[in-house]
Amino acid sequence: MSQEIAVVGSPDFTTGFRLAGVRKFETVADDDKPEQLDEAVSGVFEDNDVGIVVMHDDDLEHLSRDVRETAETSIEPTLVTLGGSAGASGLRDQIKRAIGIDLMEED
Amino acid sequence: MAKDVKPTRKNLMAIEDRIELSERGHDTLEQKRDGLIMEFMDILEQAQDVRSELDANYETAQETLNMARAMEGDVAVRGAAAALKEHPEITTQSKNIMGVVVPQIESSRVKKSLDQRGYGLLGSSARIDEAADAYEELLETIILAAEVETAMKKMLTEIETTKRRVNALEFKLLPDLNENKEYIEQKLEEQEREEIFRLKKIKNKKEKEAAEAEAEAEAEEATATASADD
Repeated sequence: MSQEIAVVGSPDFTTGFRLAGVRKFETVADDDKPEQLDEAVSGVFEDNDVGIVVMHDDDLEHLSRDVRETAETSIEPTLVTLGGSAGASGLRDQIKRAIGIDLMEED
Repeated sequence: MAKDVKPTRKNLMAIEDRIELSERGHDTLEQKRDGLIMEFMDILEQAQDVRSELDANYETAQETLNMARAMEGDVAVRGAAAALKEHPEITTQSKNIMGVVVPQIESSRVKKSLDQRGYGLLGSSARIDEAADAYEELLETIILAAEVETAMKKMLTEIETTKRRVNALEFKLLPDLNENKEYIEQKLEEQEREEIFRLKKIKNKKEKEAAEAEAEAEAEEATATASADD
């Protein structure tokens, strides 16, 4: 089954990916993020044709709790976040819970 | 609860069977958990490499894009972006690591040559090409990261469930079963002691009865001989 990559974020963020040929994208202007990002992200995660969702790490802050948790724990499609220092934040928590130690500590 | 079982020999045997099975399951699950954690460590290392590569690629991609926008203007860049015809696609296959199905993502048409991009060569400049190049590279790393991170998420869930199962067996099921077993054993022993005591009582009673009967018989005999003597 062939799937596509989707990008969600501000216009600045998505332009570059469009240059690389990504067709599915949701642009939400920075000012509208608190209101509209939730909807955009849930829409993308419900789309069966999407295999990977790319977002900026900072944008996760704008999501409501529920949507954020779905996004972080979703396996299909998978969320890949860019930028930000924490890397995969949800993953880190999960590792701490499953293994018992924080393996992703910056050393 | 230990008191829920009937203290019968049949139940004891059933519980002993269950204990044996649970112990075997516990050992197997423990091994599975350790194996999963080992596999996970390998993937973690890989994931950290991919992550740092991803961050580096993202930075360069952003830089080149900003450069292109500064030199060519926002409109030109957006125009070029809107003109693309070829779209990257990904196909997922699955791989099995110790019972965990992890995806293997394969991508097609991420890297494109200049003429495949579709925005024309004349209308655009080399900076836009560079930005597109950088973002194509970034996409490839993203796909790799998605693969590795999905595998990690799946393995973590599996590790969690396995761990929970191991702990449930070790700290709940096995102690309960052992408690039940002990309870039944003690009850059975008690019953045995009661039985022995009861048998002893009966024996005593019988002996007493026999002795009494003998005494009576003797007394009767004595009176009989006495009367015969008369």
